[in-house]
Amino acid sequence: MTIHLSLLLWLPLAFGLVALVVPQRLSGKVTLLGALLTLAYAVGALSRFDGGAGLQFVTDETWISDLGISYKLGVDGLNLFLVLLTALLWAACTLWADLRGEWRERRQLFFWLALAETAVLGALLAQDLAVFVLFFDLMLVPFFFLTGIWGGADRVAATVKLVIYTLVGSLLMLVAAVATGVLVSVQSGAPLTFELTALVDNGLAEGQQQWIFLCFAAAFLVKMPAFPLHGWMPDGYRAMPLPVLALFSAVLSKVAAYGFLKIVLPLFPDASVAFQELMLLVGLASILYGSVMAFTTTNIRLILGYSSVAQLGFIVMGVFALNEAGAQGAILQSVNHGLVVAPAFFAVALLSARSGGSEDLREMGGLAFRAPVLAALFLIVALATLAMPGSANFVGEFYILLGVFQSSEVFAFVAAAGVVLAAVYMLRAFIGSMHDRVGPRASSQEITVLDGVVLVPLVAVILALALYPQFALSRGEEAINASLVPTRVAQERVAQERELERLEEEGLAEGGGAPVPLPQGAPPQGGGAPPVPPQAPPPVPRGAPAPSPGGTP
Amino acid sequence: MSATTLAWLALALPLAGAIVTALGFRFWRGRAAGYVGTAALFGSFACAIGAFFALQGEPAEGRQLVSALWDYAATAGLDAQLSILVDPLSILMLLVVTGVSALIHLYAVAYMGGDRGYTRFFSYLNFFVFSMVLLVLAGNFLVLIIGWAFVGAASYLLISFWYRRATATAAGIKAFVINVLGDVGLVLGAYFLFRGTGTLDFLTTFERAPEVFAENDGELVAGCILLLVGAFAKSAQVPLHTWLPDAMEGPTPVSALIHAATMVTAGVYLIARMHPLFELAPTAGTVGAIIGCATLLIAATTAMAQTDLKRVIAYSTMSQIGYMVMAVSAGAYVAGLFHLVTHAFFKALLFMAAGSVIAAMAGNQNMDRMGGFRRAMPFTFGCFVIGGLALAGVPPFSGFFSKDEILAYTAERGGIFLVLVLVGYVAAFLTAVYTFRMIFRTFLGEPVPEARELEQGHLHHPEHPTNPASGEIEDTEVGFPGPEHHVAEQSPTMKVAMGTLALLAIVGGFLQIPKVTHLLDDFLEPTFADSIYFEALSPSDAATFVGLGLGALIALAGIATAWLVWVREPGTPAKVRERLRPAYALFVNKWWFDELIGTVIVRPARWLGSFALTAFERLFVQGTLVGGTSGIVRAGSAAVRAAQSGFLRFYVALFLGGMVALTIWFLLQA
Repeated sequence: MTIHLSLLLWLPLAFGLVALVVPQRLSGKVTLLGALLTLAYAVGALSRFDGGAGLQFVTDETWISDLGISYKLGVDGLNLFLVLLTALLWAACTLWADLRGEWRERRQLFFWLALAETAVLGALLAQDLAVFVLFFDLMLVPFFFLTGIWGGADRVAATVKLVIYTLVGSLLMLVAAVATGVLVSVQSGAPLTFELTALVDNGLAEGQQQWIFLCFAAAFLVKMPAFPLHGWMPDGYRAMPLPVLALFSAVLSKVAAYGFLKIVLPLFPDASVAFQELMLLVGLASILYGSVMAFTTTNIRLILGYSSVAQLGFIVMGVFALNEAGAQGAILQSVNHGLVVAPAFFAVALLSARSGGSEDLREMGGLAFRAPVLAALFLIVALATLAMPGSANFVGEFYILLGVFQSSEVFAFVAAAGVVLAAVYMLRAFIGSMHDRVGPRASSQEITVLDGVVLVPLVAVILALALYPQFALSRGEEAINASLVPTRVAQERVAQERELERLEEEGLAEGGGAPVPLPQGAPPQGGGAPPVPPQAPPPVPRGAPAPSPGGTP
Repeated sequence: MSATTLAWLALALPLAGAIVTALGFRFWRGRAAGYVGTAALFGSFACAIGAFFALQGEPAEGRQLVSALWDYAATAGLDAQLSILVDPLSILMLLVVTGVSALIHLYAVAYMGGDRGYTRFFSYLNFFVFSMVLLVLAGNFLVLIIGWAFVGAASYLLISFWYRRATATAAGIKAFVINVLGDVGLVLGAYFLFRGTGTLDFLTTFERAPEVFAENDGELVAGCILLLVGAFAKSAQVPLHTWLPDAMEGPTPVSALIHAATMVTAGVYLIARMHPLFELAPTAGTVGAIIGCATLLIAATTAMAQTDLKRVIAYSTMSQIGYMVMAVSAGAYVAGLFHLVTHAFFKALLFMAAGSVIAAMAGNQNMDRMGGFRRAMPFTFGCFVIGGLALAGVPPFSGFFSKDEILAYTAERGGIFLVLVLVGYVAAFLTAVYTFRMIFRTFLGEPVPEARELEQGHLHHPEHPTNPASGEIEDTEVGFPGPEHHVAEQSPTMKVAMGTLALLAIVGGFLQIPKVTHLLDDFLEPTFADSIYFEALSPSDAATFVGLGLGALIALAGIATAWLVWVREPGTPAKVRERLRPAYALFVNKWWFDELIGTVIVRPARWLGSFALTAFERLFVQGTLVGGTSGIVRAGSAAVRAAQSGFLRFYVALFLGGMVALTIWFLLQA
């Protein structure tokens, strides 16, 4: 069996279209079937995936030849588990939406859900910058309707805010993407193309990278959201219906994190190195601000929302550690965070149903009383969210902090405070809802079998990954190394330039002195994908720390 | 079977017990879950004994076995496997942990019998033992950190076992957060060591450390001090100790198992395990010894002024662990581990006896309300006295030999360590005083109504159970203590568990009688063979006998003082309190550590949070930063209304506008 990624990509939408025409009560089942088939197909792709073979299952068709846009899809170690995460969570959340909740206009709801899955999968699978941007922007459309039509109180204001924030980001990204294609073509004399490997190979002149980098970063940071671009988050999270929110928080934010590793680092390596400290600061600020807010707010949804800001802060720091450990941690943590936050929101739905509809911790409490299974499941999710050692989340955070530590100890030490704060806010949420005095309107009830069908498999996946995180790590190694090659070259060059400046200064001090030849340096363009180009530094041997950016070689 | 296979089995059995008891929570009837959990623990202990003999069968230089199951998280140059290290040190810990745990499980089968959360209790308790065994068997830093954090989580779950008590959940979250702080210390410490050695594996780290680190190398000292942060948090050393007294909110078997015999000694184990690194970084070792010494004094003085029976024992635990930390930091490894073993016996025994008294008091832990239980509870009284004599260090009870060995061997280091030993002797006197203060106030004197009731064969059960800490009225459903209480006098299994520990508390010291037996020395030799202190520290005969005599005298003097103050002249405490008011205030307020941490950390964090929520979030994020988001929303809505056909057209228009702008820009560029 060969894997056709087009099938994977369009399957959800196809079923979503069918859902539009079947009777209302069947629409959920049809969409669910589509999501389950997609999941099965994604698992099939996983079983055929070869960790050492680079980009796989490639579909490559010319789409708009004049503009150099090609319909190219592929799976590598970077997106493999995110695709699986998407398929899994969409199946779970579609099931959840189908089982629970009295929706009006069910057909439309499930159609938008299905379209959203296709959009996310498209953004993850795209190997062409234009296709990526297209799908990335397409993601907004279904969520706009899902929030605007089925949202809670104040949904209109929240939707407008969400759209404006992300639209500004998307437009910046669109401009930046077009500019990247055109500039690369102008500079290298090659025909216009948006195909990613070609763009990486040809490279973008250093001077142009910086503003383009900032445009992409703005788009991704808004989507995550990262401090201080999270202004849409509190209202947006409050307004979204919970199954939609679970998907938004668990998956969409990860597309942004993925975008940094897949697009930003390889295409704009010099800018990534130049802005490394800025991005680390953004990550750090997100961690601290998100954590502080999460242990202050009393709305349990927003606790999860702010905790996501903090967790995404860790991921940003991992990416911009610009080394293998950080990147591995960032990818693993993206998957982990998606895996824990979706069941956490599901638990919020169950808790709120048992607290008279309130989502305020002050009105909850004591729910574990008659619901030991629910309490146990929520406890596992909460402990995984706070990155309890023994969970895959801990492994992710361990690698992220190790990567940051290898770049800069100070950042790692301050970021580690986020680990302690996570314990505070997650336990506070757990105790506030499950333990202590029984809340005024709380009625403790065990979860039903149907709820269990959604929640238990997700918890089982969390436990399985906790037992064997190597499964994900070893499949990501190769792609992560490849995507880090250009930044390594850039780091090397910065180091050489600094060395040169130092030598020149010494030479001047000695009185003129002979011009020091540039050590056999890298050309201004970034390096290519593997095989490693000759000017790239030798791969770092196992056991040795990755080169610290801007440090001495 | 090989030693490693048996060690894996000893690890697997408690985990299996935890899972089986948890999954069967609807099916267990009566005390079945308790017996399943206890059986798992006795099986685990049997495996530990088997592993001990298998290891002794190996030649001495081959007694360091590593066994790995699978690559756990090995990428980016890390070698993190799921591996265990079986050597004399880990086997010693394994024996103590599984053995004492098995007895405490047996005790809990009856003690917790009336509780509505019975199954949950045994599941947690088994999970705790699994975590602790993982901790002591860990073969690399990653597995160590996992075990380290798991015991913290199990401790949290058991402290807040009565989860409808706000005092218990508050104590739980405090313990968990301080423990996470320790985990972070371990993680960062491991980073420093990894950067130097390029490995996470223990044995490889020890092998490479002397090659890559010079003595007192800055990186190494930083790494070791961060490891100490982890050790201090787990072992309740100053200033990370404030969670331990509060942890007494948990059921008494938990206090005996986790907060006396096993978990809190993990820090001692860690320092002993890392001894090759600490010997390369003597500065870190000295820091550890000083903190241990400070803790033993602060805790002993605090214990003098507390009135909660379990908290006095908790401060005593802190103090005794201070002795151990001081010893292993100073290089007296065997002495520290020896005290760890004997302390596990007599402290678990003291907690069990205290639990029996508390059950007779229907959950009340306040010593002011106790008295005269001697006749009502002769067995409990006997056990308490044996434990107390061992704790006070009266010959020939176990604590006498182990405490003496710590002080004698630490003194051998000379210099500043002599000062530490002096403090150790002062605290030893205080130990005897507060131990017998407990005994005299609880068991002697006029019997309280509860004691009289018990003398007539009734166990006191109040009409309205209340939370002893806050006085709130409770019911006896799940989440609160159950309706029935159990005392040792009425329960054979509790008697068996306590009797065994009492025997061990008496004879445990014979493992290492100075100049006579040295069983622990011999057994642990392969682990510490490379140590620079192992052979070098050996007190002369004269020093040994002076130390023994001094220790015995101090213990007896302490007991005599307690007798004078609390039995002979019952008015004395009030007078002393009056005369030494500042000191009394210091001790009764626990040296104001809670207030200090509250002022320095908790309150600023809360203030920051409410500032962020009320000021920053409202004004900056939703107001100023994006030109007033609400303003934007209004403008956006207006734009939409202008477009009159919803957002899609607006979106397309913006999209096109952007494209046009872009085209113009490119034209201008060209």
